Amino acid sequence: MACVLCGQPIQIEWTLTKIFTLTKVRAPHLCRACLRQFTRIDQANACPGCGRADSPTLCYDCQRWQKAGYPLLHHRAVFQYDGAMKSFIQQYKGLGDWRLHVAFQDLIQPPKSTYVPIPTEAGHYQARGFDPVLGLFDHLSLHQWLEKADTPVPQAQKNRAGRLMTPQSFSVRPLVSLAQISQITLLDDLYTTGRTLYHAADALREAGFHGTITSFSLIR
Amino acid sequence: MRYAGMQLLLDDIKSDLSVAQAVPAMTTDGRCMRCGQKQAVTLPIGWRYCPVCVNLGRVVEGQSLFRFEAPRFPPTASLTWQGELTHAQQQASAELCASVKAQREHLLWAVTGAGKTEMLFPAIAQLLNKGGRVGVAAPRIDVVRELAPRLAQAFAHTPMAVRYGGAPWPKQDVQLTVLTTHQLLRYYHCFDLLVIDEVDAFPFAHDAALMYAAQHAVIGSMVWLSATPDQKLLQQGRRGKIGLSTLPRRFHGYPLPVPKLAWVKKVHLPQQLPQPLLDQLKKLVTTHRVLLFVPDIDWLRPIVKALRRQLNVAVQSVHAQDEAREAKVLAFRAGEIQVMVTTTILERGVTIHRCAVVVLSADSPRFGHDALIQMAGRAGRAADSPDDPVWFYVQHYTRDLQVAITTIEQLNHMKAG
Ligand SMILES: [Zn+2]
Ligand SMILES: [Zn+2]
Ligand SMILES: [Zn+2]
Repeated sequence: MACVLCGQPIQIEWTLTKIFTLTKVRAPHLCRACLRQFTRIDQANACPGCGRADSPTLCYDCQRWQKAGYPLLHHRAVFQYDGAMKSFIQQYKGLGDWRLHVAFQDLIQPPKSTYVPIPTEAGHYQARGFDPVLGLFDHLSLHQWLEKADTPVPQAQKNRAGRLMTPQSFSVRPLVSLAQISQITLLDDLYTTGRTLYHAADALREAGFHGTITSFSLIR
Repeated sequence: MRYAGMQLLLDDIKSDLSVAQAVPAMTTDGRCMRCGQKQAVTLPIGWRYCPVCVNLGRVVEGQSLFRFEAPRFPPTASLTWQGELTHAQQQASAELCASVKAQREHLLWAVTGAGKTEMLFPAIAQLLNKGGRVGVAAPRIDVVRELAPRLAQAFAHTPMAVRYGGAPWPKQDVQLTVLTTHQLLRYYHCFDLLVIDEVDAFPFAHDAALMYAAQHAVIGSMVWLSATPDQKLLQQGRRGKIGLSTLPRRFHGYPLPVPKLAWVKKVHLPQQLPQPLLDQLKKLVTTHRVLLFVPDIDWLRPIVKALRRQLNVAVQSVHAQDEAREAKVLAFRAGEIQVMVTTTILERGVTIHRCAVVVLSADSPRFGHDALIQMAGRAGRAADSPDDPVWFYVQHYTRDLQVAITTIEQLNHMKAG
């Protein structure tokens, strides 16, 4: 197997735990040298609300969401948004290099749940030829229950205040029945302010969902 | 016309679109027209793109590649360089000029430190004077950055551009382009002379897309430069299929330092450094700066830590993706760092005075014979210390070690020609 970032062959280290545990081991798609560039978030020290690194107690931003009346998403993310991750996102979403969608799949193992990905705007899908969020998580069983109306300014081009003011643009697709479901995990590529994910959670609740909603992303 | 001789995607073009010739960016059977590779990947939406050259912007089926003509410049006297070539350099340079005149390929096989760049000047001037376009390409960005100012100085009145990923686009048409081999993908039938430095180096070597790019970027002659050419290219030269000049001597005329072998047990590396190695390093740092090559990036940290404890000098490490790389290399050249532990060959054209080379685990499969020759070639470049020591620490004697050492010995016994 070749590394999807550098093309070098990947040597899989068969540790005893990997051999003896019965959990399904997914083959890595990145070589050791490439993977090492990225910084993992230490989950034990991450914010319990948003998964931010080095914030073992509820961070200020999460306290604001809580005060504003939002039930916390208890978000988890795998990696920090550092230089290496920015250039990964640039190649994957910016250049549109679809091959990279598998890069982290062996490391993306959110707790068991009903997975609902955050949808991409139709215009972006047309330009890119793929949905970057669906790509990152397409090793999981996904439920595409949400849809998104086109917005004039993409989230990525806004500053923090602009992002927080973004109006709701998600809705639950017609004919989706949420009655039998007790837990949903929203999936996204990147958690920045949380605005997108809290909007998505709102949309699910407005559609009559009464269970627990958590969220998960590759990057925080 | 700022895009003369280039082939670009619509997104790259800010002006002059109407004068370009549009060709399909991908053939119906999935071959990319920019890099020549047929490895198209189908997107979930159904269309295909070329992953091989995607870093220069995505080539997608159904889109166009816009090609711009490369008109000639008026004749001039271009060479402003005042230096002089040694006798051996002159001879190689004359052979090169003859090949360029005859529009044939030429391999210039020159040891590191032979003064390759200066030998190119007459051939480059020959074409620039006639109004032709010249490209000088190298696989690694460091080499491009290092070549550019020397060429700019040698051809002071010639419009020149430097092209690498992230460099600003040229504002005007240029006659001389210094670029990474990767950027050659953006040129089509442009250069009357294309020089490719370090043909043997990653990422150019064994990269079909870059070879395709080089062959399509040139319309005149191609010149390959190498200190360690592969057998195929050498064979072509020896059989007279392409021109060949050999420069086995450094410009100062002294032979290359021949690596000496020292045996060590590798079991405890990198956590425990063998005592003979430490003793050797202690001795070397009293007279030399030391470049210590190691095969694995994971070795840098423990070795630096150990050496800082054991040696009473400044020890640093650097690797290819190191963000502080440029500053560290400068500090090493300036003598502020005595021992540099590294996984990478650093800037090849740079001369460091009194620099000893130690390769730890030189028998590692990560070091091919060409890399070993390059690493050894870091030593003895300055005229005041042509015999800087080179040590290879090994546990086994490998074929690559044998080839590297015999090649260096052969070069030392060879006469120019
Ligand atoms: Zn890799
Ligand atoms: Zn938080
Ligand atoms: Zn291509």
